Amino acid sequence: MAIITLPYRYLERLTGTDRQTVIDRIPMIGADIERIEEDHVDVELFPDRPDLYSPEGVARAMRGFLGIEEGLPAYDVRPSGITFAVDPGLADIRPYLGSAVIRNVNLDEEAIESLMGLQEALHWAVGRGRGKVAIGVHDLDAVTPPFRYIASPRDRSFVPLDFEQEMTMEEILADHPKGRDYAHLVEKFQRFPLIVDAEDRVLSFPPIINGELTRVTTGTKNILLDCTGTDRRAVMTAVNIICTALAEAGATIESVTVEGEEMPSLAPAERVVSLAECTSLLGLSLTAGEMAGLLRRMRFGAEPDGDGKVRVLVPCYRADILHDWDIFEDVAIAYGFENFDAALPATTTVAREHPINAVAGAVRSVMTGLGYLEVIPFTLTNERVLYANMQREPSPGTLRVLHPISEEQTVVRTDLLPLVMEMLQANKHRELPQRLYATGDVVVDCVTSQKVAAASIHPAADFSEAYAAADVLCRELSLSYTVRESADPAFLDGRRGDIIVDGKIVGVFGEIHPAVLNAFELEHPVAAFALDLTAVPGYPVLPGTP
Amino acid sequence: MELTLNEKRLLVALGPVGSADAASLADLMDSRREAVVQYANLAGERGLVDVEKHVSRRYVPTKEGRAYLGKGLPERQVLESFGETIPMRDLQSHPLAKIAIGWMRKKGWIAIRDGVVQKTGATAAGADEVAFARLGETGAIEDGEGVPDLLRRGLVQEEETVTYTVSITPLGREVLDAGLDLQEEVGTLTRDQILSGSWKDLPLRRYDVTKLPKRAYPGKVHPYQRIIDEMRRILLDMGFEEMAGGIVQSSFWNFDALFQPQDHPAREMQDTFFLGERWPLPKGYERVREMHEHGGKTSSTGWGGTWSAEKAEQCVLRTHTTSLSIQHLATHPEPPVRAFCIGRVYRREAIDPTHLAEFEQLEGIVMDEGVNFRHLLGFLKEFYGKMGFEKVRFRPGYFPYTEPSVEPEVYVEGLGWVELGGAGIFRQEVTAPFGIEHPVLAWGLGISRVAMLRLGLRDLRQLYRSDVEWIREMPTYGGRR
Repeated sequence: MAIITLPYRYLERLTGTDRQTVIDRIPMIGADIERIEEDHVDVELFPDRPDLYSPEGVARAMRGFLGIEEGLPAYDVRPSGITFAVDPGLADIRPYLGSAVIRNVNLDEEAIESLMGLQEALHWAVGRGRGKVAIGVHDLDAVTPPFRYIASPRDRSFVPLDFEQEMTMEEILADHPKGRDYAHLVEKFQRFPLIVDAEDRVLSFPPIINGELTRVTTGTKNILLDCTGTDRRAVMTAVNIICTALAEAGATIESVTVEGEEMPSLAPAERVVSLAECTSLLGLSLTAGEMAGLLRRMRFGAEPDGDGKVRVLVPCYRADILHDWDIFEDVAIAYGFENFDAALPATTTVAREHPINAVAGAVRSVMTGLGYLEVIPFTLTNERVLYANMQREPSPGTLRVLHPISEEQTVVRTDLLPLVMEMLQANKHRELPQRLYATGDVVVDCVTSQKVAAASIHPAADFSEAYAAADVLCRELSLSYTVRESADPAFLDGRRGDIIVDGKIVGVFGEIHPAVLNAFELEHPVAAFALDLTAVPGYPVLPGTP
Repeated sequence: MELTLNEKRLLVALGPVGSADAASLADLMDSRREAVVQYANLAGERGLVDVEKHVSRRYVPTKEGRAYLGKGLPERQVLESFGETIPMRDLQSHPLAKIAIGWMRKKGWIAIRDGVVQKTGATAAGADEVAFARLGETGAIEDGEGVPDLLRRGLVQEEETVTYTVSITPLGREVLDAGLDLQEEVGTLTRDQILSGSWKDLPLRRYDVTKLPKRAYPGKVHPYQRIIDEMRRILLDMGFEEMAGGIVQSSFWNFDALFQPQDHPAREMQDTFFLGERWPLPKGYERVREMHEHGGKTSSTGWGGTWSAEKAEQCVLRTHTTSLSIQHLATHPEPPVRAFCIGRVYRREAIDPTHLAEFEQLEGIVMDEGVNFRHLLGFLKEFYGKMGFEKVRFRPGYFPYTEPSVEPEVYVEGLGWVELGGAGIFRQEVTAPFGIEHPVLAWGLGISRVAMLRLGLRDLRQLYRSDVEWIREMPTYGGRR
């Protein structure tokens, strides 16, 4: 999530209202207040609204929302005459370049920090960690146009930001902190992306690091922006958001010619949307004029277009508008969520419990009646608990997670009894007797099914207790079964039985083997059983697995 | 005043003597001392007897002490083993020399010069020896001179004896004099007594109702499961059909079908549990691909770029139950649909008091002709109200697969407004590829947070740790806050 710092003084100057109004109302355009401090407020903004990741962007939206300034913000773009060539050799490395010149910036320390904050937030939200888009801002007056974006040999060297000596690009990947962080994005390529000026001086090694040469300071008056990446749309989104934010702060924007294309245009996109589609989605009755008015408060250009349509001009920085419904959401936000009249539809429907849960309910009722206490173990576990402790062979259908978070949780459970045993271990200091059961999902070969397992620990726990409990549960679930001597190594030989239905083993019961008791550090005999609930007559098969 | 038989027998025994210690009363009553004390305390509460407790301390020999009894302390035994002088080397061969030499010097009995031990003549028995000799005769001694020395040397140990003296009070005497019925009481009714009618004359033993019973623990459904069942009942009451489905899902159903872009951070291995397994794409998956690439036949632009079928086949542990909702809608595209599910979902988070790698999520969907955003808010108000949250408010939210999106907040006494879950209307990019033509209202929430509020927990892990004592003590009804 993007957390943006909004200094009150700057925000008040930009919005033309007081800090309290902004703090009170900002959640209603879609933001969470993180922290309210003496001189600033930190707000968390949604990942689909990178245009709000700067005080300028927030102020622009709030001016509209509060009715101070409505409609489409206009941004003039004059040609700078500067050109940028793109090396075709970058096609498979990092093909897209967006650029702009931003003149007459007025950068104090706070403004630089805010610009860096916007850049970082865009790297995260639009750039996907710099892979998709990486942004560089440069002091234009330190270099000489025209510029070239090239695929350079890896041993080219320059002085990277925050360093004093030249390093080769390979050294930067190995030794510069930013190089180490982002090396994975380029190290597989034979050549590396590089931006140089007319005199072959290095501005930037995207997406890794800028050169020290073009460092932006409080003395910087004019900025050259470069956005490189692998997705053209995302690259231009980043250019538009940065240019319009700086324009809001008073800078002027000039275009750059990249391979013959003038950019940025900062022009809005047009959409003609249906009033009826909007009102039926939101459940509001609005005229086209009212709808257009609400959209202007969200800084769209909007006018009724006759025939139940509204013509909408979408600002170039609104990367989140993919579909007409995205515009309708802004109508709802401008209308105010607090002003909606909540209602229930008149349609009646018939409820139905899922049959799997009907069986689970029956299991709970029987086990509770037998005096068993329900436990809810995790579904992620490990092979020691599942197999080694139980003296059982690992099931070939066991699912391993690829990147486990700890050694305790490496596989999905295939059985419940080991987890009930683990619960007995966790409760060994509690009063005996303890009778515990669990019911729920297990997964074998990607297929989810349900089991029940129960265990009773006390000095007199024995085979007959286990048999009686397994038998009563089967009878109560209308499950007719036969029993054979079991070979399950988790149980004691001569004191274990398999529950057989249609010639298949669907459960087991008996006295737990003392070696298993040792493995779970238990000090008394345990009578236990486990049952595969899919054996219950009429048990449903889960649809669409997985 | 109804006395127990034992109290009556105690008064009878005390009658002739007036006062006696518990041990001798036990002899008289043919009972045990502890039992007599118990009867006496009971009678004492009624004011029939006085019970006086005496604690006395005596000293008895320790194991080491017992070894010297009758022979004298080691230093005395060694002193008497030689004449006036003895070479040190010879003396050291005495088995007790190690202990004795130090004490003999300390007590001034000997002097050692040039390796020769010489008696000083001042070898009279001290208080410790006197006390030790008395111990030898009686087996136990009271505190007195010399005893602290023996205690320090670990030769004797303290033994505490508690005795009780029971005396009859004037009230007790009065009750005794009024005459007592000493007929034997009966503990349990037998079948014979019930059938024969002899129960009419039976003196049944009375029980003390002020005593707490032995604690019994019933079988129980887990407190968290009870809350889950309560939520299920609310949704069933509201006309919702219950859904269920697999824990393992293909990325297609978990992400792509929900219009989550393939480069979305949630799809990276830091946030989601990926599995090595793959699952083939369903028929008609191309419509989802078209939606991602250019927005299909809707007004959407799509995400652009190239959609990878290979990425969509990768299996994951489901990160939300929305993967079940979209499959339910895909198989039930005709209105009306009201469906819900409560199921476990997985996030790749390190476990701490507020984060778990697996937890339960509740999700409800409504698809019908003409349902709209106001109805979504209506369902949310109704649902949270039935859960006991009467004050609900709504803020704009963001979820990748809904538009508009809303974050409901509920008011909790003592905590203020608490964000609880998320909601919205499924994007057309989500519904259109499956031929769903009407709006789908959807909401979901992590119900472990509700359970924590209800059960007063601070640590989410407690829900899954299943501490037997906690489950035993948590009331089945009314345990909520």
